[in-house]
Amino acid sequence: MKPTKKELIDIIYECLGEVNEQLPNDRQIQKSPDASLVGRAGGLDSLGFVNFIALVEEKCAHKYGIAVSLMDASLHEDGAPEDVGRFADSLFQHLMKTLPVQL
Amino acid sequence: MRGLLISDFNIENLSSYLKKEPNAPAIDSVITCYGEVFQTLLDDAAPCWSERPDFVVAWTRPESVLEAFRKLLDCCSVNEKDLNAQVDTFSAALRQASKRTRALFVPTWVIPPFHQTHGLLDLSPTCGVARALMQINRRLLETLEGVPAVYPLWTEKWIQLAGPTAFNQRLWYLGKIRFSNDVFKTAARDLKAGLRGLGGQAKKVIILDLDDVLWGGTVGETGWQGITLGGHDPSGEAFVDFQRDLKALSRRGILLAIVSKNEETVAIEAIAKHPEMVLKMDDFAGWRINWQDKAANIIDLMAELKLGVESAVFIDDSPVERARVREALPQLFVPEWPSDKRLYTEALLSLDCFDRPSLTDDDRQRVRMYAVDRARKESQPQLNNLEEWLATLKTTVTVEELNQSNLPRVAQLLNKTNQMNLSTRRMSEADLHMWASEKDRRTWAFRVSDKFGDSGLIGILSLELDGSQARIIDFVLSCRVIGRKIEEAMLFVAIDCARTVGIQEVNATYCRTPKNKPCYAFFQRSGMTCRDGNTFVWDAAQMYPLHSAIRLVCEDDRTFEKSPVGVNPFTVNHASPSNNC
Repeated sequence: MKPTKKELIDIIYECLGEVNEQLPNDRQIQKSPDASLVGRAGGLDSLGFVNFIALVEEKCAHKYGIAVSLMDASLHEDGAPEDVGRFADSLFQHLMKTLPVQL
Repeated sequence: MRGLLISDFNIENLSSYLKKEPNAPAIDSVITCYGEVFQTLLDDAAPCWSERPDFVVAWTRPESVLEAFRKLLDCCSVNEKDLNAQVDTFSAALRQASKRTRALFVPTWVIPPFHQTHGLLDLSPTCGVARALMQINRRLLETLEGVPAVYPLWTEKWIQLAGPTAFNQRLWYLGKIRFSNDVFKTAARDLKAGLRGLGGQAKKVIILDLDDVLWGGTVGETGWQGITLGGHDPSGEAFVDFQRDLKALSRRGILLAIVSKNEETVAIEAIAKHPEMVLKMDDFAGWRINWQDKAANIIDLMAELKLGVESAVFIDDSPVERARVREALPQLFVPEWPSDKRLYTEALLSLDCFDRPSLTDDDRQRVRMYAVDRARKESQPQLNNLEEWLATLKTTVTVEELNQSNLPRVAQLLNKTNQMNLSTRRMSEADLHMWASEKDRRTWAFRVSDKFGDSGLIGILSLELDGSQARIIDFVLSCRVIGRKIEEAMLFVAIDCARTVGIQEVNATYCRTPKNKPCYAFFQRSGMTCRDGNTFVWDAAQMYPLHSAIRLVCEDDRTFEKSPVGVNPFTVNHASPSNNC
C-alpha cells in the first residue's frame, strides 16, 4: 500500500497530539502545515523531537508495513524540516524510496 | 511538590507526564544524569539533595545496577549468592537515600520480553533470566520491607497496561528512553495516586446506588426475587463479582454506603434476603434510601459519617443522576460509569483514588467500628442526660507512646484528620518518626474502647518541652469519638506529663484551616486560658481534671478512673478564657 500525502499529514497530526500530551499548554504544536516543528521559530526540543520521530516511525511501520528510520541522513539532507508541511514532504519522499523494503 | 527522578535511562518523559497530569498534586521534578544512580543515592552532598525533595523515584534497569544480572543476559552462569549480594548493595544505597526524602518510590525491575525467549531455560536455576528476575525483585522487596519512607511500585502492571509496545526499541536507540509513553503515563498516574495517599487525600467512602449497580433490575418493581444477581447469567455473575470487589475494598478500610431512590424496607429486604447478596447491611457504614434528591442525601449521609463530601466517590449507573450530583457537589468524585454491567469490576478497580501507604488493623476493622458507632448512637436517645449516657458507655482510653508498631496508623491518622486537629501538620511515617525521636519531644497514641466495642487508635498528642513550657504540637482526634470526653483525657495526659518533668505552663497554638473549627471550639471550652486569640494556656501547677466517665490506662499500667487530685471535674475552678477569644 502506497502512502498519500494526506495520510501522512494525518499520521503526523496524530503523533503531534501524543507529543502535545507532554508539552506545557503554551508550547503546544499546532496541527497545521505551517506549524513550526523545530528551529528558531519554536517547536519541539531535542527530546520532544525524538519522541515525535519514534512515533511517526512506529505508525508508518504499522500502517504501511515498511521499516522506516527517519534519523537517516536522507531525510535531513538540508537539516531537519522546520515545519509540519516540509516534514510531511520529506517523509513522503523518504517512504516512496523506502517502500520496496518489506519488514 | 518537588520530585527527584533518579534513573539509568532517560526519564524526562516521566517528568513531563508528572507535570502535565491534571490530578493533584502539582509536581516539578529534577532529573539526575542518567547512569549516575549509585553516586546519587550514596552522596549526601550531591547538589540534587541540597533542597530536600518531597519524593524520589529510583527507577533502574536490573542489567545496569546488577552486574551479575547483566552476565545472565549474556548467557553466563551466575552464582545466586552474587546476585543477592548485589541486590543487597543496591538496597542499602536506597535505604541511605530514603533518609533524605518523605517518600522514595522504587519501581520493581522488568526486562523486555525478548530477553525471555530461552524457552525451557527461562526458569532454569542456573541461567534462567525470568527466574532470576523474580528472585531479585523478591530480594529487593524483602530487604526494603519495613524501611520507613520506601515504597516499591509494581512496574509489571504498567507494562501490561501499555501492551506489546511497552518496551520501545526505537525510543531506546534514539534517546535512551526505556519505555513507551503509555508506561510513563500510567506510572505518573500511580505516583500521583501514591502521593495523594501519603498526603491523606485518598478517598474513604464509596457511595453506591442500588438498582443496576449492586444488582440488575428495579427491586421496587420486581421484589427481591426478581432482581438479577448471581445464577447462570452473565450480568448476574458480574454483579456478584462487583459486590465481592466492593467487600474487598471495605476490608482495606474503604467505607461503603448507599444513596438510592427506593423504598427503604424493600431495598433492605433484598439485601437481607437475596441468597446471592455478598454485601449485607452490616457492610454499610450508612445509607439514605428514600425518594429525596441524591445530592442532599449525600450531604446528609457524609455529615452522619463525620467525613467531608470530598472524601467520597459516588457510583451511579444513571448519567442523569451523575450529572445532577456532579453539578451540586463539585468536590465529590463521580466517575463515569460503564453501561455494560460486565465492566463494573474493571471500572471499580481502575479507580486510583484509594491508594494508601499502609493497611492497618484499624483499616480492616473500620466498617465494624461504624456499625458499633451506629449502635452507640441508637442507644443515646433513650437517655436524656449526656452525663448519664457517657457514664453508661464505660469508656476506656489507653495511652501508648509512639512506637514502630503504631507508627503507620498514627501517620495515617495525622495525615487524614481535619476537624479535631490543632496544627494540621502532614508528615510521612519517616518524618514523623524522625521528628518524634528528638530529645524533649513526646508523642502518644490513644486507643478507645467502650461497652459497644473497640474504636481502635483514634488520637494523637505530641508535646515539645522547652524550659519551663510545654507546647502541644499535635492534638488530633478522630471525628468518630469527638464529644465523648476523650479530648479532655488527652489534655489530662499532656498536663500530667508536663507536671512530672517540672514544667510550669502548657500551651497549645491553634492553626486555623477551613476545616478545624471543632478543634478551636474544644479549646475554647477546655478551661485553658486563651491568650492572643489562638494560643491556649494551662498553669501546670494545677492538675487537669479527668472526666469521671473515662478510665485512663497508661503503658506503665497506671490507671486513672477519676481526677487523681480528687477534684470534681465539673466544678473545678478553671481559668476563664480571655475576652478576645
